[in-house]
Amino acid sequence: MPDLPELNPVIHGKLRLALLSLLSSVEEAEFTWLRSKTGSTDGNLGAQLLKLEEAGYVAIEKKFVQRKPQTLYRMTDDGRTALTEYVSALRELLGSAI
Amino acid sequence: MNLTPNAPRRITMTANPDELDLKDRLSLIESMIAEGRRTTESWGWTFVLWGVAYYVAILWAVLGQNVVAWPVTMTAAGVLTGVLGSRRAARRPDTTVGRAMLAIWFGMGVSTFIVMMSLGISGRLELHGAVAIVGAMLGAANATSGIILKWKMQFACAVVWWASAAVSCFISEIQAGILFVVAIFFCQIVFGFYGMVAESRKRKAAGAGQGVSHA
Repeated sequence: MPDLPELNPVIHGKLRLALLSLLSSVEEAEFTWLRSKTGSTDGNLGAQLLKLEEAGYVAIEKKFVQRKPQTLYRMTDDGRTALTEYVSALRELLGSAI
Repeated sequence: MNLTPNAPRRITMTANPDELDLKDRLSLIESMIAEGRRTTESWGWTFVLWGVAYYVAILWAVLGQNVVAWPVTMTAAGVLTGVLGSRRAARRPDTTVGRAMLAIWFGMGVSTFIVMMSLGISGRLELHGAVAIVGAMLGAANATSGIILKWKMQFACAVVWWASAAVSCFISEIQAGILFVVAIFFCQIVFGFYGMVAESRKRKAAGAGQGVSHA
């Protein structure tokens, strides 16, 4: 039996997967935009983004825009590589399942 | 199992994977990427705004016989686009496509403004040349945007602008003016409203299938 590919557990969580996919299509995104696109709560979203940051897949930038705090999230090169590998692994698994 | 700090622990799929779950994840990735890209497609209002600005400038210049009609109206439209655009941009993430669009239209706008202003101040501006220059510039910007966004309707607008630019060189001044007004109607007003309706439909369709609330 051929070796089946591995799925990265950091990305495997649905919300984290959605966040990385969203961030892959933009240069950077604000916390509120990510919340509106995923329909997640502040607490859950913050926790999942922290996990992605700890894994080195997401970089955070905090700044003030018109005196209002703004948190911007950007996908790192490691994050892009991890998502690409995850999609390849998914496709391979689906291919082997058919 | 790899436990180095930069390489997270991995799940090895030794049992039969849940095919439905995997397909679900693949479609989640595709839908989220599409959602991020869709954010950039919201420019219909700018076409309507500039179409109205052109009409205001034409009416002011023709009825009021005022030489500052075009520069004042175009500057006002530019400032209004900048203010409204930045307010919208504050709620949206930056994208490469968004910056490409900004670069194309900003470059086109500044180039046209400089040439038209210089021709106007030097007293060498006449309608045939003006329609040809504006038509060619708008044709170039619409074609470039249409190709980047894969939007056939916008490329069709580019063809209309190019045709208007070419035809204006061979017809009378009044006919060139009428041609310009008609091209503005179809390529700015009608296309702008079409874009706004299309964007609204996409937003509603995308909004119906959202919600990823767990880890």
